[in-house]
Amino acid sequence: MGFTIAEKILARAAGLDSVRAGEEIKAKPDFVIAYDFPGYTDVIFKHMKDEFGIDKVAEPERFALFIDHMVPAVTPQEEDLHQNTRDWGIANNVPVYERKGIGHQVAAELGYATPGAFAVHFDGHISQLGTFGTLAIGVRRHLLEAFVKEYIQIKVPETTRVNLNGRLRRGVMARDIFHHIVRTLGPASCRFQVLEIGGSAVEHLSIEGRQAINCLAMFTGAITAIMNPDDKALAYAKERARIDLEPVFSDPDATYAAVHDIDISDLEPIVVVPPSPANTKDLKDYAGTEVQVGYLGSCASGRLEDLRIAAEVLRGKQVKPGFQLHVVPTSQEIMEQASREGVLTDLIAAGAFVTSSSCDYCFGRLGVMSDGQRAVSTGTLNVQGRMGSPDSEIYIVNAAAVAASAIEGRITDPRPYLEG
Amino acid sequence: MALQPLKGRAAWIFEEIDFDVDQIVGVKNIKIKDVDELARVAMASRDPDFAKSVQPGDLLIGNHNFGYGHPHYPPMIAMRKLGIAGVIAESFSPGYWRGEIAMGFPQIPCPGIIDNVGRWDTLEVDWDRSLVRNITRGTELAFEPLPEADRLMLEAGGLIGYLHQRDGSQEKAEP
Repeated sequence: MGFTIAEKILARAAGLDSVRAGEEIKAKPDFVIAYDFPGYTDVIFKHMKDEFGIDKVAEPERFALFIDHMVPAVTPQEEDLHQNTRDWGIANNVPVYERKGIGHQVAAELGYATPGAFAVHFDGHISQLGTFGTLAIGVRRHLLEAFVKEYIQIKVPETTRVNLNGRLRRGVMARDIFHHIVRTLGPASCRFQVLEIGGSAVEHLSIEGRQAINCLAMFTGAITAIMNPDDKALAYAKERARIDLEPVFSDPDATYAAVHDIDISDLEPIVVVPPSPANTKDLKDYAGTEVQVGYLGSCASGRLEDLRIAAEVLRGKQVKPGFQLHVVPTSQEIMEQASREGVLTDLIAAGAFVTSSSCDYCFGRLGVMSDGQRAVSTGTLNVQGRMGSPDSEIYIVNAAAVAASAIEGRITDPRPYLEG
Repeated sequence: MALQPLKGRAAWIFEEIDFDVDQIVGVKNIKIKDVDELARVAMASRDPDFAKSVQPGDLLIGNHNFGYGHPHYPPMIAMRKLGIAGVIAESFSPGYWRGEIAMGFPQIPCPGIIDNVGRWDTLEVDWDRSLVRNITRGTELAFEPLPEADRLMLEAGGLIGYLHQRDGSQEKAEP
């Protein structure tokens, strides 16, 4: 029997000829990635020194730090945290990437999404590096292990394979595909597994759409998602790759825990209803629900195709008076390109509030809602209180639907705005 | 080192599938840092007498995919403060699982538990035989053995103790 891409990557990282799902191994991450956040990086730095007597990490080129939350700082304590991170980076010779965008996206731009590589982060949305055939796992506080040990102990995960077939209709986006996967398979379907996504539909998806899907793997219970990199993915990743690795691919006779075929041809825009990422419904069933806030951004969405389609919806129109539309491109590179294309001009002219890249709108640090307010959002999550008051609500929709809803002040199917 | 047997009463049964543990303290309290205050607000919306009723060593029972959502640490910090010694659930969500195992807080995946326990039944976790015994009812259920690293982590009282124990092994530490 053959091997999955995840098994092949972990075998190499463990220095073994092969590994199978279920085996417990010690594997060496090619990349150890984190953003600075209270309780994570500051604690890791402290434990490294105080508990383990380690002044500097070995092989600093394996490490990367991002400052993307609490940007810009609004309290001296936040700026202290950032300064501590910068100082640690200098002392350890580890790069600290700041104000370049959301780290999970910038990591791909900077080549940490090397096809065939094994990466760890504390945050599970790093799974989006799987777009390029990188196995990237979020391990929460266990990340300390990768800072103080060369190898981390891990059980080789099983893989569930999802084959996406068909073509998306206009106005239906990659976000809708992911939420449809959750609706079809269930929020516990891939617990502790790798979600491997393939099928004939993938080649028609942009890199950006693939990143959106892989970013959200955790809401199926998976510990990460991965795609076997095709020419499109390799063209993006190989020239940026930071280390010299041969891409690997699942064998045709690889062993899977389950295989699912999902046709996306008839898919319609979806809304994920608060307060759970498992509450996936058809948008049409919630059309008309009044909303006061729109958020277009996050590590899942907020890329060029999201900004372009929002601009298309909003071009020549106006955001409803009183509606707050926050547009936050996923990275500065994306923002610059959107600016060059005139996409930002269209969004601004329509009344959008466009800001530089930051994670802060997604987790309720900026642009917060008060009691009773409702948002349409392309953020990662819709749990209670995520974007402000525990009595506010988040309806997750695709970027086009955020834009259309901003015009009408209620949850709106974007497709009529995309005709003609 | 071996894991101590857990023995205590089922202090609460969370029947919800995909239970979001943040609900234990309530989202509005999730940023509270003071452990005593967290313990005071825990379960207030479900059972105002919860803190008074719990004894050290008591256990929580969960349904499928316990810990789904975006779990934070304060709810179980509060539960440990109240004396809760572990969680037995049908199954766990990976993010929650990793977080609590790193804290050295026992989590036991035990298919069938939800239909085989009543509130305040006395339960015992036998680590060696991978069994959960319901002493009140005289029944027992097999639980899924933990991955080695997770078991070692619980034995060592959490992530840091576990990493210290690995210092003595032949592997290369950094630097």
